Amino acid sequence: MTTGPDLKAISATPGGAAATTRSHTVAKLIDTTTCIGCKACEVACQEWNNQQFTIGNFAGTYQTLPDLTHSFWNLIKFNESEQDGQPVWLMAKYQCMHCVDPGCLRACPAPGAIVQNANGIVDFNQDQCIGCGYCMTGCPFDVPKLNPITKKVHKCTLCTDRVSVGLEPACIKACPTNCLSFGTREDLLRKAETRVDALKEDGRPQAGIYNPEGVGGTHVIYVLAQADQPEKYGLPKDPRIPWTVALWKGPLKWAGNALLLGGILGAFLHYLRYGPKDSGKPADGID
Amino acid sequence: MALKTPASRQTASTETRIIRFSTAERTVHWAVALAFLYATLTGLALWSPRLFWLSAIFGGGTTVRAWHPWGGVLFALFFAVMFRRWNRQMRLDGDDRRWLRLAHRYAVHDESGLPEAGRFNAGQKALFWMQASSGSLLLLTGLVLWWPEIMPRLLREISVLIHPIAAVVSIGGLIIHVYMGTAAVPGAFRGMTQGWVTSEWAASHHSKWYREIRRR
Repeated sequence: MTTGPDLKAISATPGGAAATTRSHTVAKLIDTTTCIGCKACEVACQEWNNQQFTIGNFAGTYQTLPDLTHSFWNLIKFNESEQDGQPVWLMAKYQCMHCVDPGCLRACPAPGAIVQNANGIVDFNQDQCIGCGYCMTGCPFDVPKLNPITKKVHKCTLCTDRVSVGLEPACIKACPTNCLSFGTREDLLRKAETRVDALKEDGRPQAGIYNPEGVGGTHVIYVLAQADQPEKYGLPKDPRIPWTVALWKGPLKWAGNALLLGGILGAFLHYLRYGPKDSGKPADGID
Repeated sequence: MALKTPASRQTASTETRIIRFSTAERTVHWAVALAFLYATLTGLALWSPRLFWLSAIFGGGTTVRAWHPWGGVLFALFFAVMFRRWNRQMRLDGDDRRWLRLAHRYAVHDESGLPEAGRFNAGQKALFWMQASSGSLLLLTGLVLWWPEIMPRLLREISVLIHPIAAVVSIGGLIIHVYMGTAAVPGAFRGMTQGWVTSEWAASHHSKWYREIRRR
């Protein structure tokens, strides 16, 4: 891994990551208002990552599969709802959000199985993965999926293999409406703001950016026409790393270690101070 | 002190040996202990990155992930056998409750006012119930963590917290148990390995039990 890109964080590794040299981070912008649901991004993702596709059952929706799978990392969610008596049909591409504070990485017990590159990409190293599935609990977006046969977790890599050689991710490349764009996070946030302003002027007062603060922001950013109701798009309203995961990987770890080490130390000190409990009769063990 | 003879040789000639634990009891105790040890060491490897090196001893992280749950299942099965055998003897009576209130005296070898102990003293009984409870929690939450792909999120979020808390409680109990059973109370360890203690040991540490045995 020392030969890979600069790292910002490494799972289960005391001391953290090497120093970073990059100042720019990358991001993906998904403008849901111009998505036509063509699924070119799904196909491009499958093609580039050489994934097998297993056809599921038709469930009365345009959506390809009910959820992401270990071999299907990019899913357009089609959501139907109603507003003011009018049907609303929303579509939003769903994949790993590449959180600034990734819950998967925090939950992972295997050193180096999850890394966060200096450019912001959160990537899984299946070689180091032990298949515990803690990342699935740490992730507030339910993105990582376990391959039941190999017992390794998989998810969108933000095409780190393409990005590291200066190409844009496969999904971006395939998008015919330019609803997807790739660039530095800074630029894309600015672009998103411009787009939101335009939408508001266009009579979409609820338009806004989805870049949830609960996970420190994300490297996958959405423009939503109804940003006040992200759940309508199948996006969690206020995603956060579960507090039990944060407590477990934070204060509990230290309290537990202190308690166990204290117990061992206490036993030693007790022995030195009070010695063994003898049978109270001089004959026991002494001539 | 230099003339100390090994207790086993000396007692063989001058003292009566009392059977403390039957072969069946010792077998099940050590079965529980081995399963506990395996689950603890593999569990610690996943508990802290600073202890991940333990996984190397047990065949690597993937093997540890795959087998740790089975270690837990074995522990639960063996503990269930031990539980069936001992749970009636482990019930706390009035004396035991008084003993527990004065446990601090026991810890500093001041046994004045301490009620006499039966076959198991109140500390051992408390440990038994503590391990039974935390063991049950470990089993239940462990089953959830075993199959994250089919378990509901809420159960997983609870389990990632309860499982390590129960484990810390169990391991804390084990530390005290091992210390008491080896260094702190000479003669106790032989009771659980070879199965016998001297009559004086029994009269001193478990006087109520000793009198019962004498009566028989």
